[in-house]
Amino acid sequence: MTHLRRELRRLKQYHEMADTGEIVRRYFAMNSFDGILTILGVLVGSYLAEVRDPRVVITTGMTTSVSMAVSGLWGAYLTESAERQRSMDELENHTLSDLSDTHLARASRVAVVTVAVVDGMAPLLASLLVLLPFFFSSHFQDARNPYYIALAIAMLALFALGAFLGRISKQNLVVAGMRMIVAGVISLILGYLLEGAIHR
Amino acid sequence: MGKILRLVLDVLKPHDPSIIALASELSDINGVDNVNISIYEMDRRVENAKITVEGNNVDYDQVLQVISDNGGTVHSIDEVVAGCEIIDDPETLQHRGN
Repeated sequence: MTHLRRELRRLKQYHEMADTGEIVRRYFAMNSFDGILTILGVLVGSYLAEVRDPRVVITTGMTTSVSMAVSGLWGAYLTESAERQRSMDELENHTLSDLSDTHLARASRVAVVTVAVVDGMAPLLASLLVLLPFFFSSHFQDARNPYYIALAIAMLALFALGAFLGRISKQNLVVAGMRMIVAGVISLILGYLLEGAIHR
Repeated sequence: MGKILRLVLDVLKPHDPSIIALASELSDINGVDNVNISIYEMDRRVENAKITVEGNNVDYDQVLQVISDNGGTVHSIDEVVAGCEIIDDPETLQHRGN
């Protein structure tokens, strides 16, 4: 067996050992959701504050995305590390041996990195997706059009996310997708209400 | 020095990695031909395994290393056969049942 094939098989083994699949799915869904709704909030705020310069929106949006990525990556790394260390310590109490140099320990470390990367990339990619129209704003005559397109992208992304979760839990995909869109709509409504309250 | 042909070990190991992975890895060792692992006791976190390793030249240190890497600890070495061919322990009068 070639070295590369052996390493890939080893990684797959680690992934199974550390039960990474479940946690990665969970973090991916949660953080993409966070990313989409946060950037939607930024866009609603910019729209209602009558920001029409796409560069301002891009700057605000990107800095928000990057912050979410750092928060996700760092937060997940520390949390997952702590949890797995606790797990390992508990197991060591049962085996009465040092497990730090075993496949299990290595699998845990790989899992921590995987989860952290997913937790960081998910909100970043989701929010960048929603911000995409603003990068092509020169193609739009009305400065408000990128907002509408971004909103449509956000709703589609939410639907897709809902459908993804629906597929995992074997529910009706359309219903699951619609449930996610409801969250986006609530976020919009609250944004409008807030703006109304501030300008009173 | 003489060659070890068979080792029977009592090992305590966590559930993961499974005995399939462990057996596979043990059989990959040079000098090991066959491996038998059976679980005789289990609880929520760990399992007790009887590991039988046979080969034309079994290296105990390597076997120990593989078991260790997989999170296991050898609780006792229950049987060893060394030399040219495998012999079993003969039944003696003291051990014959009444």
